[in-house]
Amino acid sequence: MFTQFFGNYLLNKQLVSPEHLCEAMQQLSTTRLKLGVLAINAGLLTAEQVDIVHDEQQRVDKRIGDIMVDMGFADSEQIEELFKTQPKGHLLLGQALVDNGYMTTAQFERALNSYKAENSLSDTDLSNSNEEAIRKMIKRFYNFNDTDSSRYMTSYLTLLFKNIIRFIGDDFTPLEPDMSAIKSVIENCVIQRIKGGLSAITLISADNNAEIEFASRFAKEQLSDNDEYTQACISEFLNLHNGLFAVNLSNDEGIELLLEPQEIYNNIKFEELINPVTIPVSFSMGLINFVIIL
Amino acid sequence: MTIQDLKVLICDDSMFVRRKMKDSLSALGVTKIFEASDGEKAVVKYAESNPDIVFMDIVMPVKTGVDALKDIKSIDPDAKVIMASSVGTQKNLKEAISEGAFDFLQKPINERDLLKMLEKAVK
Repeated sequence: MFTQFFGNYLLNKQLVSPEHLCEAMQQLSTTRLKLGVLAINAGLLTAEQVDIVHDEQQRVDKRIGDIMVDMGFADSEQIEELFKTQPKGHLLLGQALVDNGYMTTAQFERALNSYKAENSLSDTDLSNSNEEAIRKMIKRFYNFNDTDSSRYMTSYLTLLFKNIIRFIGDDFTPLEPDMSAIKSVIENCVIQRIKGGLSAITLISADNNAEIEFASRFAKEQLSDNDEYTQACISEFLNLHNGLFAVNLSNDEGIELLLEPQEIYNNIKFEELINPVTIPVSFSMGLINFVIIL
Repeated sequence: MTIQDLKVLICDDSMFVRRKMKDSLSALGVTKIFEASDGEKAVVKYAESNPDIVFMDIVMPVKTGVDALKDIKSIDPDAKVIMASSVGTQKNLKEAISEGAFDFLQKPINERDLLKMLEKAVK
């Protein structure tokens, strides 16, 4: 996930254009070797075991390597070795940008070093996707404070980005919260409310093409219209994400949440939402806006 | 009875989930598949079709999956109802089992899960 936030850093420092970053992220996404493939190559897991691990990864908020260990397919030392052989995303992103002539190696080196320094990130944090370091980075990126509400928001967003990677893909760049990214009247959106130990509302909205592509990736089938089925796909992504958030809160803090059925709204007035935080996420398919009220 | 002979009822308000489950069940050779999009319709459909196994989402409009499970169990105490939810907490699992659910699945449900449940149902 550092790769995606590092991409945002490069954008903000105007070291790359949004188009060049998008192109490099897509390249990275299609060429990066996944841990499952490396595990098969190393003879640690069979293809069937990797499928089982991938299925499980959609139901528990754990790193793929930890699931492989939990399921008894490998031990932690073997997974550590495997991690070492996996090329790191932020380095591959740099390589793609340099290879395409969008940055020089020296510019990339300077950018990476300043990014690490500004975010107090070590090489180990970047290599191991350290959970605490990710949370710290997200808290800093969105300027969250130390209130309970900010703590839950940090957890919610950390999981949201992980779920985007799990269910949609890793070729995205998170952008700063931006109220102007949302139209005053949202024509098409999916909403799910959470009640119980915590109240929250999440809304997903995008333009037609971005919604169709987001839904297609989630459903693993090419959709062509923004119809009821496309909206059902986006709804289910939201439901799975909120479900995992509820499981985490139940396991970690003993807080039980109740999810309400997802709803599809047309023409909702943005001004009617109370204290919304808008999280725009830029994909090659377009901008997807997550509006969260927590 | 083989799994291909089973009559299966899928209850979920998500058209996406119903379609994916139907595709997976068809791939496993199941041909008698019924659908319901909320808890109330699930109870009506159960009475009409008398399925061998039911996959029931918990969070649904009109009537929740747990309430539909209670109604179905009152019609047929031997009904095999598998509860499904994206919220796979111990609380939800215990509640489902205490209300007489045959089993509990955390979403997303894949073909492997369905096969395991169908095999359990025909035993």
